[in-house]
Amino acid sequence: MTVTTRTSARARWYKTSKRLAPFAYLSPTLVLLTILSLIPIVMVFYYSLMDNVVMNPDPVFVGLKNYVEILTDDVFHTALFNTLYFTLMSVIFHLIIGLSFAMLLNTDAINPFTKALFRVIYILPWVFTASIIAILWRLMLNPNGVINYLLEWSGLISQKIEWLGSRQVALHAVTFINIWSGYPFYMVSLLAGLQGIPNDMYEAGTIDGANKQQLFRFITLPQLRPIIISLAMLDFIWTMQQFTLIWMTTGGGPIRATEVLSTLTYKMAFSSYEFSLASANAFVILALSLFVAYFYVRHQGATNE
Amino acid sequence: MSSALPKSVSKRLSQIGIILVLIIGALFAGFPVLWMISSSFKSNTEIFAYPPSLITDSFSASAYRTVLTDPTKVRFFINSYVVSTLVMIFTLFVGIMGGYSFSRYEFPFKQALNMIVIGVQAIPPITLLIPYFSLIVLLRLYNTYPALILTYMVFTLSYAIIMMTGYFNTLPRALDEAVMIDGGSSFVALWRVLVPISLPGIVSVGVYTFMLAWNEFLFALTLTKTLNMRTVPVGIQMLMGQHSYEWNEMMAMSVLGSLPVLILFLIFQRFFIAGMTAGSVKG
Amino acid sequence: MNRKFVSLWLALIMAVAVLAGCAAPAAPSGDAGSTSSDTAADTSADTSGGEEVTLEFTQWWEPELPEGEFRALMDEFEAQNPGIKVELISGPYSATKQQVVAGAATGTMSDVIGLDGAWVSDFVKQGALASLSDLMSEAGFDDSELAAQIQLNGATYMIPVVNFVYPLFSNADLMAAAGIENAPSTRAEFADAAAALTNADSNVYGWVLPLSLEAPNGIQNDVMAWVWASGGSMMADGQPHLTDNEAVSSAMEYIKELYDAGVITPGAFSMSEQDKVEEFTNGRVGMMIDSLAHINLIRERNPDLNFTIAALPAVEGYTGARGLPYASWGIGVAESTPHKAEAWKLVQYLMSEEVNSKLSSIANAFPGNVNSTPDFVESDELFGAAFDIYQAGYPANEFVGLPVAEALMRSFDEQFQLYLDGGQSLEEFLTNAQEAWAENF
Repeated sequence: MTVTTRTSARARWYKTSKRLAPFAYLSPTLVLLTILSLIPIVMVFYYSLMDNVVMNPDPVFVGLKNYVEILTDDVFHTALFNTLYFTLMSVIFHLIIGLSFAMLLNTDAINPFTKALFRVIYILPWVFTASIIAILWRLMLNPNGVINYLLEWSGLISQKIEWLGSRQVALHAVTFINIWSGYPFYMVSLLAGLQGIPNDMYEAGTIDGANKQQLFRFITLPQLRPIIISLAMLDFIWTMQQFTLIWMTTGGGPIRATEVLSTLTYKMAFSSYEFSLASANAFVILALSLFVAYFYVRHQGATNE
Repeated sequence: MSSALPKSVSKRLSQIGIILVLIIGALFAGFPVLWMISSSFKSNTEIFAYPPSLITDSFSASAYRTVLTDPTKVRFFINSYVVSTLVMIFTLFVGIMGGYSFSRYEFPFKQALNMIVIGVQAIPPITLLIPYFSLIVLLRLYNTYPALILTYMVFTLSYAIIMMTGYFNTLPRALDEAVMIDGGSSFVALWRVLVPISLPGIVSVGVYTFMLAWNEFLFALTLTKTLNMRTVPVGIQMLMGQHSYEWNEMMAMSVLGSLPVLILFLIFQRFFIAGMTAGSVKG
Repeated sequence: MNRKFVSLWLALIMAVAVLAGCAAPAAPSGDAGSTSSDTAADTSADTSGGEEVTLEFTQWWEPELPEGEFRALMDEFEAQNPGIKVELISGPYSATKQQVVAGAATGTMSDVIGLDGAWVSDFVKQGALASLSDLMSEAGFDDSELAAQIQLNGATYMIPVVNFVYPLFSNADLMAAAGIENAPSTRAEFADAAAALTNADSNVYGWVLPLSLEAPNGIQNDVMAWVWASGGSMMADGQPHLTDNEAVSSAMEYIKELYDAGVITPGAFSMSEQDKVEEFTNGRVGMMIDSLAHINLIRERNPDLNFTIAALPAVEGYTGARGLPYASWGIGVAESTPHKAEAWKLVQYLMSEEVNSKLSSIANAFPGNVNSTPDFVESDELFGAAFDIYQAGYPANEFVGLPVAEALMRSFDEQFQLYLDGGQSLEEFLTNAQEAWAENF
């Protein structure tokens, strides 16, 4: 008797605790994010529905007027196009370069010391604050900078290129800088992911007669898939918001060649003091990001089945 | 035996090939940084000299001396250390539990919560600046370490959870089920089994978290006020004057600023050893 | 397991609390500082009782000046005014404006604030600045000593403490090598000189024009300067006047001619003021319009460079006074401060003849007090020459006090770049710029 009641009580406790456990694990996160993240976001949403805030002591509710104003603005369209180009190119090349370097650095062919050395060199672009990266590349891409000098010296160009000052080149140049500064994020994360692939999978593959390409395609890539998807989504969201790098190299120029949504938002907020417009713009960026996040979450749900 | 020789030769060749590729990659990754280091040893005028050169007559470590002998700037470094280290520890702790929850449990509102965790970081921080600042003032945290620590936790938590979910998803569920069968709780399964196996992932999340906290500028500037609370990025920005920049000091300060991250990485990179996970799964 | 969670939670909370605890003693000034609004009531009551008042003074000047010099001025103020302490809050120049906006919105604004003329209108609109006219009359201050006051709606909100003027700098050695004896005085002379100086093969150009959109102040200092130097104006009756304005269109056309002639240093569209001065210092540019604040910097960074200073070139036959662009370190008082009287004392102190002389001397700027004379005018030939130009002309900066001045410069800059790049005609450029500006008035 006693034994059975005890076990059933235990079973019940076990069941409740199992139901509560995920929330318990998430509770610190939820508390933090609710107070420090959700509240300000809700306030920004409220701002976006007003005529103007901060500069205006008595804001008036205007509904979706700010959103209509933004979405019908030509500058917004230019910025959206530039943002998508900048973001997609960055994500694609981050992944390609990050994965290649991670594979290279994971090889057994070289000794651990050499590997450690290269690992450190390869994460270098990652460890500097964005404003310094911007300043450094401004120096190097200056018409009288070292990049033009080296290209001229090697005979690749005959005339100095205005990397950041030309309408045709500037967007590619800032995208390149962003690719350079962002790939180590993938590299390090994928390097970590590669450690999670059990060696016996490769051994089994080799016994089955698979060559290196096949091992990569049928073992490495599928195993890394969850991490790659997480990385790409995060990178997409972050790159959409990249501000300092673009602002401090080109200021969105020349003309509007490198105008992106984040520089536009900044100018609305702190140059024109249109905080409501800026907030509406921020929510457009949020919506675009959530669109991507939605597929990620769906995918997460599917893999957990 | 005859086939063994060509095999070792081809191995040798592929080794040389890999090293060559690695060197080309290192040029891509390292040249701008090399240029930064070179600039930090130049005079401000020579940084703009044409034709440029890597080492100039004015080669001098005076920029480093200026930075390291200024107690205000040293204080910036200390502040950055304290904030970044604590952010890394707290975020990892909270993020590992969050990632575990998303990876191993099915529960009501899971997808909605997941969307929220992702969504909160999808808004440009610049627009959050004023409401967030108001909140920090309201909580009486303005110009304190906790203001910065909590802020960077919020900034990095989503990332940590998403990545930890990803890493945990690559590990078989059989691992924690084995613990449960032995009578252990999920808590034990997480900290005793999953965490040790996921060390490479945790290291990469930790390094990133540390770096974000180390490098963030906008909120560091807004949420602090006095020089004794400022961090390194703010200090670097203060060298960008209204009329002129102290180029070499800026470069020196960021070279110095990158060292802790590199050392941290150098210590922990030994966790990135192929097959380590497989070994511990078996053991 | 639940118990474990509770203890974990407690540990986390305690950790944060401990941090808060150790942060507080580490930042005593910070804690006291953030209370500038919360403890408003009791401290203002205290002042009458002779208790100490701490003024927070947000500015970007301290890091710009030789180390310790500005603090020394503040120490002197504290010695003269027992019971008032000044705490300097220094930040980077580029972020100061943003910090003031955020501070005013959250009630954490300092008592006294360093200002740029381009920001004033917006801060007034935000209700962040106190009327200095009121403070002056309360203190019985005679404002005849002030060289300038920035007024909006009939009240003063900013007083320029020191001014940096922007004359024409010429590289004497390059000029001599090109066979040019005197600094150009007319636009035609300038164009000829620029062409003679330019030698693309040896990487030397006649003029340098910074048009960076990040900090678009090149529009006021290097572009509109041409309009003002010939007595022109970009405004009419407080409204933008860019179209049907010969003074503006001729200047813009003139710069376009220089640009097409290839006498301007490449990379103009992304060049900043800081880059401009480095190009000049490295001897790659013959002439530039630049702040006097750079004289010592150029000397220090390239001691071998010979350069001279002259008034800006004007249109042929112009005999009137030449406008000289300037930028100020201005000062204002927060509307929210409970210590307005003490704050005014600090302003008055900085504007007093002797202190203002001293500050302009260390900043290499011209004083905001009409009676002050900085040391360098006597001791330094170049500054002496600049002072003569300053007194023969008039300080001109029509962007001061305009709403969203920085946004105006930026939208003008965008249209100007498109014009220079051949993307639109002069007429389209000015019409578009006029339209963009009109929205803000």
